[in-house]
Amino acid sequence: MARPKTRSPVTARPGPGDKRTRPLRKPVSRTPTWLPTAATIGVFALLAVAFLAYRWATTPAPLGISSSSAALVISTITSLPGSELEQVGSGSANNLIKKVSGTALTGTDGKPELFYLGAEYCPFCAAERWPMIIALSRFGTFTGLQTTTSSSTDVYPNTPTFTFRSATFTSQYIDFQSVETRDRDQNTLQSPTAYQQALVNQYDTSGSIPFVDFGNRYAFAGAMYVPDILSGMTWQQVANTLQQPGTAQAKAILGSANLVTAAICQITGQQPASVCSGASIQAIETKLG
Amino acid sequence: MGRSDRTLLVAMALAGVAGVAVSIYLTVVHFAALPLVCTTTGIISCERVLSSPYSVIAGSGLPTSAAGIVWFSVSAGLALVQLTGRSSARLVRGHLAWSAIGLATVVYLVFLEIVQLGAICIWCSTAHALVVMTFVIALTRSQTSAAAMGD
Repeated sequence: MARPKTRSPVTARPGPGDKRTRPLRKPVSRTPTWLPTAATIGVFALLAVAFLAYRWATTPAPLGISSSSAALVISTITSLPGSELEQVGSGSANNLIKKVSGTALTGTDGKPELFYLGAEYCPFCAAERWPMIIALSRFGTFTGLQTTTSSSTDVYPNTPTFTFRSATFTSQYIDFQSVETRDRDQNTLQSPTAYQQALVNQYDTSGSIPFVDFGNRYAFAGAMYVPDILSGMTWQQVANTLQQPGTAQAKAILGSANLVTAAICQITGQQPASVCSGASIQAIETKLG
Repeated sequence: MGRSDRTLLVAMALAGVAGVAVSIYLTVVHFAALPLVCTTTGIISCERVLSSPYSVIAGSGLPTSAAGIVWFSVSAGLALVQLTGRSSARLVRGHLAWSAIGLATVVYLVFLEIVQLGAICIWCSTAHALVVMTFVIALTRSQTSAAAMGD
């Protein structure tokens, strides 16, 4: 069949005798079928990248410290003057210590035992180790403390702290046992003994960490201050603030250390007197009951 | 119904069934307090996501995965209804709208995982991928349907 000649667009004019066949359908502009798929996946991928970028931009970078600087920081916080601790009192710390009852918890040599259960990834454990170390250092000596940070991917990421994983504590007044269950990447690290696990089950019913048991006479779970006050700080900066009683960090950390100190004094029979006879410690001990 | 459209509907139905299976598993783990089969490497941590406050529907004790059971069941049901030959433009648009609701929820959940929690749950991501796949198919079918009607 011969096709009708098409008219030039310029000369084409509908005449009275023209019979133009109208199309049955309007021409449809077909979008390629792959386009919605590509667009959806593309937008979704862009959103995921934007979320990751936002997270990355708002997460403090992991900290680094040389071994000599770490040693200096540890030396600073384990030898803070008693007068400064006395000045802070309980500071801004939230007293979580509760009285518990049970068979007295003692170490192998018969001294009252302080048991700690935590994990390196845990930001609340990171916060609580500062006052724990400061308080315990008033009763004995730590060796083997190492600096670390809490997990980069948890709340309060990269909180500067120390780990008890290789630490040894020697004291003539108290025994200290610690268990760090996981490292900062949540890999399994240390496991509590059956007896330690029984203590956790009995006194830490919420399952929160850190958990600290003072000779089965007092116990607490959680951190006594919010870790965000350490956000973005280096260990040195934290140590510097602890030498100034008016700073927010000193009020929180030294206040928590005094609460821990008071609980320890209760189980050591107020020994040593040089630590336990301070007015602030005595006042806190009265509140602990 | 063309052969390719039938294939798309079968894919949507299978995505729905797979999504229901994943959601039931996560719901059972939640209520029975069973250990979850999931790796913990770097940013991947199902435990952190599924033990977070966002793992339950606000104001209820129901896990988010319970909503997943409902969403995937409805999606699979819509696909099966259309496979039985009762497909219409209204059903195609309805399935697209349902998929869009699912996609918006997935975007919000991914935001929570990455920005708020800094952790990714592989099981949740599997369910999210199934929702995205369902949306893409629904969008493609909607487009094809509109073209066939000359809209």
